[in-house]
Amino acid sequence: MPTILIVDDDADIRQLVGDLLSREGFAIETAEDARAMDEVLRRREPDLMILDLMMPGEDGLSVCRRIRATRPLPILMLTAKSDETDRVVGLELGADDYLVKPFGPRELLARVRALLRRAAPQVFQPPSRRYAFDRFIADLDARQLETTLEGVVSLTSGEFELLSCFVLRPRRVLSRDQILDWTHGRTADSFDRTVDLLVSRLRKKLEAASPGSNLISTVRNGGYLLTVPVRQVT
Amino acid sequence: MFRLSLSRRLVAIGGAGFLALWIALISFYYLANGLSRTASNPPPGQIAAIVTLLKAEPSVRWPALIDAVSSPILDLSVVGIDLAPENTLDLWEDPEYRIYREVLGDDLLSIRLLVPERRFRRPRLLQGVLNPVQFRVRLAPDRVLVMETRTPFIVSWFGLPAGLGAGLIGTLFGVAALIVFHREIRPLTRLAAAVDRIDPVGAPVALPKLKGAAPETQALLKAFDRLQTRLHAIVRARLALIGGIQHDVRTFATRLRLRVEHIPNVREREKAATDIDDMIELLDNALLAGRAGVGALDEELLDLVPLLEAEVTDRRAAGARITLAALPPETALVIGDRLALRRVFANLIDNALKYGGAAHLALAIEAEWLRVTVDDEGPGISADRREILMEPFVRLETSRARKTGGAGLGLAVARNLAEAHGGTLEIDDAPSGGARLIVQLRLFCSQ
Repeated sequence: MPTILIVDDDADIRQLVGDLLSREGFAIETAEDARAMDEVLRRREPDLMILDLMMPGEDGLSVCRRIRATRPLPILMLTAKSDETDRVVGLELGADDYLVKPFGPRELLARVRALLRRAAPQVFQPPSRRYAFDRFIADLDARQLETTLEGVVSLTSGEFELLSCFVLRPRRVLSRDQILDWTHGRTADSFDRTVDLLVSRLRKKLEAASPGSNLISTVRNGGYLLTVPVRQVT
Repeated sequence: MFRLSLSRRLVAIGGAGFLALWIALISFYYLANGLSRTASNPPPGQIAAIVTLLKAEPSVRWPALIDAVSSPILDLSVVGIDLAPENTLDLWEDPEYRIYREVLGDDLLSIRLLVPERRFRRPRLLQGVLNPVQFRVRLAPDRVLVMETRTPFIVSWFGLPAGLGAGLIGTLFGVAALIVFHREIRPLTRLAAAVDRIDPVGAPVALPKLKGAAPETQALLKAFDRLQTRLHAIVRARLALIGGIQHDVRTFATRLRLRVEHIPNVREREKAATDIDDMIELLDNALLAGRAGVGALDEELLDLVPLLEAEVTDRRAAGARITLAALPPETALVIGDRLALRRVFANLIDNALKYGGAAHLALAIEAEWLRVTVDDEGPGISADRREILMEPFVRLETSRARKTGGAGLGLAVARNLAEAHGGTLEIDDAPSGGARLIVQLRLFCSQ
């Protein structure tokens, strides 16, 4: 009998989902927040976790990342905001599936069963942080940028920070403020010009290694974006 | 329309003020010295006295006498009788000058206004004032006295023309004022530029530091800073409200949706579940429009083809009559909010399916615009209803109110969101006779 751990701050939802699943023959554990979840996980090894994205204290995103880094537990994420679904299952978090609230019982059961079928015991591997785009591969752990043909492109640490910023958020328009915050943080002497300068240097290097690719584009209201899709590689 | 900048207006006001001051000073000078316009002409008695004196003295003494009575405004010379004709205006008949004829009698030969030969003609209006008046008086049968009188140039104690001091001081004040005004105006221009960059959802814009600016300018700056803070607070509160409602209503709806399963009657149960779904959709529409209203949409480079394909596939799987004439991948690229654009097309497709029985989507690229059309097979929408239909809570079938579901928010929200992306939403006729909804979005071009 598979065990399912339900982590949600709403007691009624824990109970309703729990009742539904136990009627279908699953064993149920519940936890109202991340701390209670940790306790349950010390006691037993559930086969699947249903995790609410928005919780007081440590939120679902952080819990998901933490679990992902330690054990191969399939996670079904519950989210109240439909606009977060893209990120939940995207590169950033690695939840195995998601359900947008409100959901019907049939949907929930279908997803749970699918996940349990899919989740063959697997050897845990720390997620690789190598990303391919255009003819480049950016290795965020080794902090280097390779081309598929000519080897390593030398970047300064500032340029690499900027590149990681783009690679982790492909095709999103990033304002200068956001870039400053995500790279080395805003300091007293950093201005919008700093970003412009850094972007133009990075652009030149990318352009030199991949002529005509035009990878970083300027958007009208003063932002930049990486124009090509990025995929994770091993 | 021609508009004066603030600094020019201030300079003009200052200039007018100094001009008035200058005129007042000159007028005062005239009044204090008892001068009048006729003072430019010598009194007839003076001319008569000069003529009498010259007649009484031998001609060798004339030069000394002439020197004695000459002045910058009175020029005397003695010439032979045959005077060359000059370009003159005769004043002989002028009533103002009759007095001279009476006093000098037959000795007066002519009174003329001299008009000098010049390239540029002086204004006729000023001729009487600016040009010398010439009197010719007979001294002896072969000697004629020529007197030319000029308008006196008003001179101050220092030998400078009256009013020059006021003019100079005025000019200095004017230049100083210009500099000061410029210094005061420039911060306002910078402030305006900074205020233009204020983004209600972004980071606060640093307004320029205006050291040494006027208190009024400083007050304006502080007011704008407070306004910006308030604006951010309002938008933050609105977004927090939207987020809070999203979360809490969905939590309630989830409980309700799960409790609904305990309704024994299958039909009632399904209806209740549909009600919950409609409610959530209404909420999503309203909240997304609220988010778009404060400019809090994401910006992402999107390929519309997979986005539309996903919408179409979902509905086709549910048994809807829906087609898509797509473009090759990576051509229909726009910058926008994924969720908002999905909402735009979901609303249009659902409307087409609900009221028109089918949805036929087509993508086309026209210059820098991407054009998505959604055609249905319904009765179409008459031209006079099109505009009103895009207002919130307006539905075409008012008689069958709510029978087919929907709150009348779909089109309004779709248009709202399309416009928030710099695009448009229009209603037209489909070639097959149904309604055609056209969404135009600006294509992304790399630069």
